[in-house]
Amino acid sequence: MKQNEYVPFLSEIIEVIRHTEIEYTFRMKYLGDVKPGQFFEVSIPKYGEAPISVSGIGDGTIDLTIRRVGKVTNEIFERYEGGRMLLRGPYGNGFCLDDYKGKELVIVAGGTGVSPVRGVMDHFACHMPEIQSLTMIAGFKSPSDILFRDDFSRWSQRARVILTVDSGGGTEYREGLVTAYIPGLFFTDLANAAAIVVGPPAMMRFSIQALKNRGLEDSQIWISLERKMCCGIGKCGHCRINDTYVCLDGPVFPYAKGRALID
Amino acid sequence: MDINTKALKKNAFRVTKVRGKTASRIRVPGGHLDAKYLSMIQEIAEAYGDGTVHLTNRQGFEIPGISYEDMPKVNEMLQPIIDGLDINQPVLGNGYSSSGTRNITACIGNKVCPFACYDTTAFAKRIEKAVFPNDLHFKIALTGCPNDCAKVRMHDFGIMGMTMPRLEQERCVSCGACIKACRRKSVEALTTVNYRPQRNAEKCIGCGECVLNCPVSAWSRNPSKYYRLTLFGRSGKKNPRLGEDFILWADEDSIMKIILNTYHYVEHYIDRTAPGGKEHIGYIVDRTGFEEYKRWALKDVSLPPEAKICTPVYWKGISYIR
Amino acid sequence: MGYSLSTEALSEVFKHLSLEYDLYAPRLYPKGGAFSDTDLVRYGKISSPEEIVLHEKSRFSWKETLLPISQTLFYFTEGSVLEPEQEQKGAVIFLRSCDLHALKRLNHIYLQNGPEDPYYRDRRDKLRFVLIGCKEPFSSCFCVDMGTNKTDGYDFSLDWEGDFWQIDCPNTEWQELFRRHAVCEQAVSPSYVTETKTRVHIPDHLTADVIKSTIWKEYDSRCIGCGRCNFVCPTCTCFTMQDLFYTDNGKAGERRRVWASCMADGFSDVAGGGSCRKTCGERMRYKVLHKALDFKMKSGFQMCVGCGRCDDACPEYISFSHCLNRLPEAIKEVNSDEAE
Repeated sequence: MKQNEYVPFLSEIIEVIRHTEIEYTFRMKYLGDVKPGQFFEVSIPKYGEAPISVSGIGDGTIDLTIRRVGKVTNEIFERYEGGRMLLRGPYGNGFCLDDYKGKELVIVAGGTGVSPVRGVMDHFACHMPEIQSLTMIAGFKSPSDILFRDDFSRWSQRARVILTVDSGGGTEYREGLVTAYIPGLFFTDLANAAAIVVGPPAMMRFSIQALKNRGLEDSQIWISLERKMCCGIGKCGHCRINDTYVCLDGPVFPYAKGRALID
Repeated sequence: MDINTKALKKNAFRVTKVRGKTASRIRVPGGHLDAKYLSMIQEIAEAYGDGTVHLTNRQGFEIPGISYEDMPKVNEMLQPIIDGLDINQPVLGNGYSSSGTRNITACIGNKVCPFACYDTTAFAKRIEKAVFPNDLHFKIALTGCPNDCAKVRMHDFGIMGMTMPRLEQERCVSCGACIKACRRKSVEALTTVNYRPQRNAEKCIGCGECVLNCPVSAWSRNPSKYYRLTLFGRSGKKNPRLGEDFILWADEDSIMKIILNTYHYVEHYIDRTAPGGKEHIGYIVDRTGFEEYKRWALKDVSLPPEAKICTPVYWKGISYIR
Repeated sequence: MGYSLSTEALSEVFKHLSLEYDLYAPRLYPKGGAFSDTDLVRYGKISSPEEIVLHEKSRFSWKETLLPISQTLFYFTEGSVLEPEQEQKGAVIFLRSCDLHALKRLNHIYLQNGPEDPYYRDRRDKLRFVLIGCKEPFSSCFCVDMGTNKTDGYDFSLDWEGDFWQIDCPNTEWQELFRRHAVCEQAVSPSYVTETKTRVHIPDHLTADVIKSTIWKEYDSRCIGCGRCNFVCPTCTCFTMQDLFYTDNGKAGERRRVWASCMADGFSDVAGGGSCRKTCGERMRYKVLHKALDFKMKSGFQMCVGCGRCDDACPEYISFSHCLNRLPEAIKEVNSDEAE
């Protein structure tokens, strides 16, 4: 048979990082090219295949942040270091970093939506001269849901980072929705602003509205969509919206195109 | 006026409360007939009756207001109906013969109803041909599926259609429609194992919901016909009760045999002094014990391997006797 | 070239073809229907011409011979992945013009939309097609309006006429085989219908704006989301992946894909709960617009081939063709709303 896109390859698990009770990052060995915002189809033992965004790109490694689902036990997640996992990918277009170079970039992310933009943050946080300014507004349900805690403190040394939780913030965290911080965003030149919005549907909808109210045009906003992508290669049909296949044409869309996509 | 009421009753006429007037009783085995017979019934009612017709509880017609002297003429007009419905007639041209064994009733069955597992009328007619006329008091009813619209558990013999479902694994798309239908509408006999339904044969009542709800024809019906046979339900003035399961996954031939065997059993054990010579079978079984009945009933019966005999059988019910 | 063959002679041809190919045609499955004592016509292996059901439309299309309802993609163990042996024998598929047009739709998804699907490609290359001529349309057919009533992409065609099978065989490899068995050679052109009772007109100016129409709402209560319309459709191609685990640790098992339905629950669910299309009206809209608009936007040709199977299969008597004919009304409604 010809080159079989469905057959996964084995990848070594270099490290497992536990963020929360149910969320873990697997640092996997991977030598090919990959862009932030792309995803891999990951075979999760006892569960099946799931599309997982690349949450980090290292030297010969990729990070995959996986939320434990259903009745899958901790055991699988914790005894995995040194083991291997089946992957295929990367799939999707990913973020094109050039789109944001020289811009005043704002990244608005909610929950696991931080995963696909983590690579973008990392890149610009390390290459600040490539960008005019960098702001991240990230929201989680509660402090125990916060992903990439260490990254936020690292990024905050270079960029403006607003970390907020829906509730239970106490004295340590801000409380409130990410949308609350959008009206107060400062841009030296609004026409040079760019925004990326990733997260649950409602959060995205309100954030985009807030950005537009702040004066951004549709063409200055990018989004990344999360859909049930079974195959990743335009066949299974689950991620199709209108004539667009999120797995092939996305998951990253300029909002000017993305806004026309109605499920 | 001199009328032999015993003979009149055997000829399917009734002694009514109106002096001098009788009523003609027209049985329709299996409850289904060509529409042309309706106009014949209409003619009789208008020519000799009072112009009305009663739809009976047991799927027949009763034409009231007939004068006793018109009975021969009514019988003459009934003949094409009797011929057309293929009713066993001991004396040609002499009208219906009536007896202790009541009309065999049936729900509409799979001629029309999507749920029915078999042609109820055809089976009813087969039984009719084998048992009519007969003086013994037997009530037999057939229903297409476990919904039991025909209320067969109120009868001596209740025959309920069953479907033995079979799954072509490779056609299954894991949509869950069968599992949902079984859980919501039936007995929850299906569970999901590796994305596909697994049938608990002990639980399954053969309703066929899985087959009906399968969008890919992965479930289909075993072409063999299966039935649940229930025994000795009854109404009446002493101890009304619902029929109890006797055999699950029975075949048609075995049911025929069990019914005929039961006639022999009743002939042997009936209380000859019973009023009108009629005794509900259940009371006889109460007397002889179920094991004795079973011995008679299953004589020379060879059930299919899937059949399950329920034994012993106990009846509940309401006792009016205090 | 065209040939006339007796049934006996065609049987001989079938026998010969069977050496190299499995023959799949619409055939009778006695008592295979969902209702008791009803038959089912669907695709299955045949060995003689008499087995082909000509007087009735198959409930399911031929697509299951190309895209199995359930297909194992590979087996996995702790350290390896093993692809299953693919069927080596080819297959000859007997189908009608509309169904042969469906092949182009399937090809579009499986060979052109993204990378080629290797399982599809392998099977596709082993298929040959026999066109069953249509003298009369069935009542739900609307092939003429979809432009799928005629085709020339067949290896040979089959028409029963004047006590003989009339065969047009453009496939040069098989011409000698027919010549050997024919009673006569003559030009044959397969029959096709030129008008249908069911008519459909998809408006040229259809756009995604009709999403906003209220016509879809009606289906919220009418449709039961069973997916029959998808499963019988020759152009629906969606599937879902399933992993079966043979061992408790989840490291050995098999991955298969099974047909999926955009009308049924679960299709549009996303991780962490939630579903993109919860109501049956939304799902109907999604399906109808895929068939009548979205697919065409991407491929340049309509997806629906007008076979009418979805109309035949719907237990709730929801007619897809009727819905297509409501689109002008929906466009008008949306336009007038926007004008206000």
